[in-house]
Amino acid sequence: MGYVAVKGGTQAIEEAIKRLKYERLHKEQVLETGQIEAGMRGLIDQVMSESSLYNEKLAALAIKQAEGNPEEAVFLLRAYRSTLPRKHCSQIIESEDMKVERRISASFKDIPGGQILGAATDYTHRLLDFNLMNETEKTVKEWLSAYAIENSSIEELMNGPELVLPKVLDYLRKEGLIPPLENNDAEPDDVTRESLEFPSSRSQRLQILTRGETGAVTSLAYAVIRGYGALHPTVGELRVGSLPIYVGHPNEEGSDEDEYYIGNIKATEAEMLMPFMAEKEKGSKELEFEIGYGLCFGQNETKAIAMGILDNCLEHPDNSFPSHNEEFVLLHIDSVESTGFISHLKMPHYVTFQSKLDSVRKTKGKTEEREEVRSI
Amino acid sequence: MKRKKRTEILIEGSHELAKSLANEIEQKYSVSSLQEPEHGLVMLKVRETSKKSLFYLGEVLVTECKAKVEGKIGIGIVKGDFPELAYHLAVVDAAFLGNLPETKSWAGILESEKQYLEEKRKAKNEAILKTKVSFETMDV
Repeated sequence: MGYVAVKGGTQAIEEAIKRLKYERLHKEQVLETGQIEAGMRGLIDQVMSESSLYNEKLAALAIKQAEGNPEEAVFLLRAYRSTLPRKHCSQIIESEDMKVERRISASFKDIPGGQILGAATDYTHRLLDFNLMNETEKTVKEWLSAYAIENSSIEELMNGPELVLPKVLDYLRKEGLIPPLENNDAEPDDVTRESLEFPSSRSQRLQILTRGETGAVTSLAYAVIRGYGALHPTVGELRVGSLPIYVGHPNEEGSDEDEYYIGNIKATEAEMLMPFMAEKEKGSKELEFEIGYGLCFGQNETKAIAMGILDNCLEHPDNSFPSHNEEFVLLHIDSVESTGFISHLKMPHYVTFQSKLDSVRKTKGKTEEREEVRSI
Repeated sequence: MKRKKRTEILIEGSHELAKSLANEIEQKYSVSSLQEPEHGLVMLKVRETSKKSLFYLGEVLVTECKAKVEGKIGIGIVKGDFPELAYHLAVVDAAFLGNLPETKSWAGILESEKQYLEEKRKAKNEAILKTKVSFETMDV
């Protein structure tokens, strides 16, 4: 059988796109991007993180266009990002400069600066709040006004503290519980400019993990803890807050004070403590800690913790566990790559499938011929 | 006032402030726009705290503009989609680079906006600190 190239379907495609628009609009409700930005913080943060592009407005637009489908929204943002020039690289962002809005430790009760719960769902009952069905602008304003009055009555407001807090890890380093380290300022690799090759560098691994699909990163980290890995992590410190961004002058050398402040981003950072038995002199063993590191755009604590777990897994390659295999982890957690490949399976594969059918027919034909010969 | 502090005040504070400062320069000097406000990306380089090495966290959308005043080229760059603010920042930057006399009188205005931002920040921090846990040891 010969293969035939075909064309057609243009009109059907155009009508399918109209149908897609109809599905978005047929309830005759206009979903404003401002509403998405204001009320879908979690989804906005997830989409910005997975698309590796920080802008709430664009994320809201992508979510609207994608009808709330994160994989499609991430695809749209990644595509848009590729049309923009990269103008600068920021000065080094240090997470100790984070203006903290939430900060907890599961390892230590008493941490310098204290445990600050901030905005978290951890202590909610997870019961559907049917009052939200009847929420109005009036009730929202009333609540906000009451909350503002509640906070304005705090004494000594003008002498309020600075919420730039010391790191738990620095405290442990000072105590000698984890070894001190000097800064390593080697230029990082950029997986958006150069394709990933194995063995990967640490900077490549962290970049891929931070832009990984939230569910995929979480699932693999969960598998590690369930036994498909060799780690027993504890959250040393988890913090959410804003990180200031500075850019140097493109042509002039200057001091830190001559940098441009361009704004801040919200981020979640997780420092995971991993106990392990270190071999010491004369065969003795001692319990020590290693740190798995997670950092991602927005408030996405599960992802940051999971990233910290996988970071430490990949620092210790072990082919007994897929979660410790960098090729397995890094090549399968990207949203656009994984959803793109899986969804491409629904695209026309007429030629390749016909070829498989041909093979099946030929094989079947030969078998039948052989059976006929045998029966004679 | 140095650029780092000044840009922080103008970006975090009321955008009307940058506008009024830029307008003051426009009324007295010839301002030419070398690069109209346009979108671009800034790649974020961060330090991780496990090995203290660097990696790229992702990119942030920015609006950037370049303006020339009295032979000095100022740059305005801000996170997000703010073409007007980027232009005003560029004019103010050029004014400071040229050490124009107007910039001397701006110190007080910038300082009072800084005070306002400090008050806002402290109020926010106090509200956040109401969520700080106060542990009590239980008798078992």
